[in-house]
Amino acid sequence: MGHGGGVTSPTSLIGACVCSEKGDGEKQLQSPPMERPLETLGVWKRLTGTGESKAVVSEVGVKKPGKRKGTPGTGAEDRGTGQEPTTRLWNPTYARFTGAPLKVHKISNPWRSPSGTLPALRTSHGEVISVPHKIITHLRKEKYNADYDLSARQGADTLAFMSLLEEKLLPVLVHTFWIDTKNYVEVTRKWYAEAMPFPLNFFLPGRMQRQYMERLQLLSGEHRPEDEEELEKELYREARECLTLLSQRLGTQKFFFGDAPASLDAFVFSYLALLLQAKLPNGKLQAHLRGLHNLCAYCTHILSLYFPWDGAEVPPPRHTPAGPETEEEPYGRRNQILSVLAGLAAMVGYALLSGIVSIQRATPARAPSTRALGMAEEDEEE
Amino acid sequence: MSLVAEAFVSQIAAAEPWPENATLYQQLKGEQILLSDNAASLAVQAFLQMCNLPIKVVCRANAEYMSPSGKVPFIHVGNQVVSELGPIVQFVKAKGHSLSDGLDEVQKAEMKAYMELVNNMLLTAELYLQWCDEATVGEITHARYGSPYPWPLNHILAYQKQWEIKRKMKAIGWGKKTLDQVLEDVDQCCQALSQRLGTQPYFFNKQPTELDALVFGHLYTILTTQLTNDELSEKVLFLSEDGKW
Repeated sequence: MGHGGGVTSPTSLIGACVCSEKGDGEKQLQSPPMERPLETLGVWKRLTGTGESKAVVSEVGVKKPGKRKGTPGTGAEDRGTGQEPTTRLWNPTYARFTGAPLKVHKISNPWRSPSGTLPALRTSHGEVISVPHKIITHLRKEKYNADYDLSARQGADTLAFMSLLEEKLLPVLVHTFWIDTKNYVEVTRKWYAEAMPFPLNFFLPGRMQRQYMERLQLLSGEHRPEDEEELEKELYREARECLTLLSQRLGTQKFFFGDAPASLDAFVFSYLALLLQAKLPNGKLQAHLRGLHNLCAYCTHILSLYFPWDGAEVPPPRHTPAGPETEEEPYGRRNQILSVLAGLAAMVGYALLSGIVSIQRATPARAPSTRALGMAEEDEEE
Repeated sequence: MSLVAEAFVSQIAAAEPWPENATLYQQLKGEQILLSDNAASLAVQAFLQMCNLPIKVVCRANAEYMSPSGKVPFIHVGNQVVSELGPIVQFVKAKGHSLSDGLDEVQKAEMKAYMELVNNMLLTAELYLQWCDEATVGEITHARYGSPYPWPLNHILAYQKQWEIKRKMKAIGWGKKTLDQVLEDVDQCCQALSQRLGTQPYFFNKQPTELDALVFGHLYTILTTQLTNDELSEKVLFLSEDGKW
């Protein structure tokens, strides 16, 4: 977003607004730009967050879900309309590919979007569309079609590969982010909790997790898994196979169908980027993906071409936190000091008010020590 | 199956040749079996025929419950039971018969993708039509599904299955779709398949693969099943290339 320009700490792949000057061609997303939740939740973050989480936040290209939620691609799950994590990236990526003029607003509260769910697209005619597929269809109708040059057969291939991804990769992504306990607790929940306004952050992530879990169980429930481990292994195996297949299909080409990106590229990119960028403690799938070099290069290429202001690379997570983090620092430090001061003031105030400590003037030097002793005794009694 | 168990099973599978008395179980053909199950069963039969492996089809009312994964069809070969087309293909491969060996990597990727497309679109559309379209459900599905069982079990089982399928539809986002939207999706899928097929006799090279078996199973069933709503078969009929089957 345009806060502070360039690579800002809440980096998201949808960086600055792609604003358009055109009158009738303009499509706007309604919703005011998001306040930096870091400030409002600054104190909490300091107290609960660690350097680790900050690194996650500031990572270049990380689609921090909290930040993403307002963009046209973000899909916060809300009111039972399951928005998969990857649709967050798909729409805006597609828009970027076609050059559609989109003004992006980020919000962290799904209830503030025009349709009550995210993503939501409000067109210049005032229509509100919120299903990702429909958004793409709408863009196509308005003549922003990335698939214009594809042959019929390539169009068919697109459909087939999209089904493949949805069937094989999506469950695993959902599992990785929401069901896998380590990932969920350390990464996903923190992301969402940090970005949501106060009352929501306590129960909304939990609710989303339950919804995703139920969904995953329904989808694979027919297998009657004896234990969750086997199901998990099965899922990951299929996902690895799927990634390998994608890699084979891509080969050495720049995009899936020659030299120009198509909707399939947007789709695949949204999945892969998510997988690559998120810094997960439990990253077996990531490791596999990193081993497929042509897919990594593919992501980097798209990132550099279409999201240049968010950092042109898929760097290893270690390097990135350094830069954006320094921007974070002033606020961070300030919040830290403020919170410590607040705590101290509270303690001293309480002590004074409850009479544990009383200030007496003009006393000999020895008195403070006896007073301190007295204080200690009283404390013990209490 | 865990990796170890799978390796073990494949080894056993590889050890024995295909027996003569392999059987395929499905529901009762005349009265009970439904569109989607029939399609799946036909796909497996086509696949095995393409591999030149003999199989006997046995119809049982409780085939669904006998199956290890809850889905029909399943095959009983030697002392192993394998259900659903995917695992059956792998099982057959372990025994040394494979239809897709001649494909290169890119083609294999495409084949898998198209199989997923068919499963994703066609199969789901069939399920939707059977279980979520009120007209079909009332007239055909309920009656057929519970037919081998006495009252009230037939109603209970049918409602239970319907509820289960509806939940699943909701989970994948098809719960809110109307029939027209579903048919549109089917249309898209058929167009994609038709374009991929072009004028070739099979999808890849001159040899049939499991993709051909799967597509055949679904299309043939759709074309030959009487439903309250004939739009599904009309959509499929438009693909003249498929007249070869």
